[in-house]
Amino acid sequence: MDITTILFYLVTTVIILSSVSMIIVNNTVHAALLLVLIFFNSAILWLMLQAEFLSIILVLVYVGAVLVLFLFVVMLLDLPKKQKANQKLYLLFSIITSVVMFIELYIVIFYQDFSNSLIAIPLPESNNTYEIGLMLFTDYVFSFEVTAFILLVAIIAAIAINISDKQKALRQDPGKQVLENKSDRLKIIKDDDL
Amino acid sequence: MITITHYLVFSALLFCISVAGIFINRRNILLLLMSIELMLLSINTNFIIFSHYSNDITGQVFVFFILAVAAAESAIGLAIIVSLFRLKNSLDIDTISNLKG
Repeated sequence: MDITTILFYLVTTVIILSSVSMIIVNNTVHAALLLVLIFFNSAILWLMLQAEFLSIILVLVYVGAVLVLFLFVVMLLDLPKKQKANQKLYLLFSIITSVVMFIELYIVIFYQDFSNSLIAIPLPESNNTYEIGLMLFTDYVFSFEVTAFILLVAIIAAIAINISDKQKALRQDPGKQVLENKSDRLKIIKDDDL
Repeated sequence: MITITHYLVFSALLFCISVAGIFINRRNILLLLMSIELMLLSINTNFIIFSHYSNDITGQVFVFFILAVAAAESAIGLAIIVSLFRLKNSLDIDTISNLKG
């Protein structure tokens, strides 16, 4: 057993155990924290597969931003405790579905002969980030710009969904102020009228 | 010796666990979104495995795109969840029946 084998079994065991406990745990905060553990271990696994750039991206972007966003939302919402009723049936269905899916996938993977089509040679000894950057800005430059546009749309959508029309704070509205004229505000009552 | 089959079986197992998670946590949308993130992670792992073993960097470029789209998806999903919670005061799927579908 070399160090790679030990590391592979350690990391995959941690990922599988924590994902199982993530889906059955009662507390949403605990689920989000277990997701952090899963993503961090996956980053180690990706590093073993020589995807250095993506594994750092996974830690920085996913653990650093997306999962913190998850934790933030979980703590923002005052969640009620998970109801236990009617869970048995879904547990049974979920076990049946996932076991069937896994057996099918296992048969397909195990009896597929990868040795002809794939040669287990590591990626070239050059810089992984350099290789990805070269691909991104030559062959996939259009997809790269579309990705930037998708992120822009996500920002606008996330703001637009949560904006509220009700004006709660007292603040000045310059448009209304400009349109006001003297007769709206001031009524002159002369002594003769009284 | 760790072969490609080991990695692929692990990835399939992770995917099946997250499918089970969608069934079990169908009362809580937040946990549904987390299960979807887990599924995306197993798919990305698959991409990286084949990228490594076929000595082609293209798979990693695709993982980059999937990560960007998944981040956008989770940002919009969480925004929807927050506004839904403001409206309904719960995250139960069964209470969300405005469209009577």
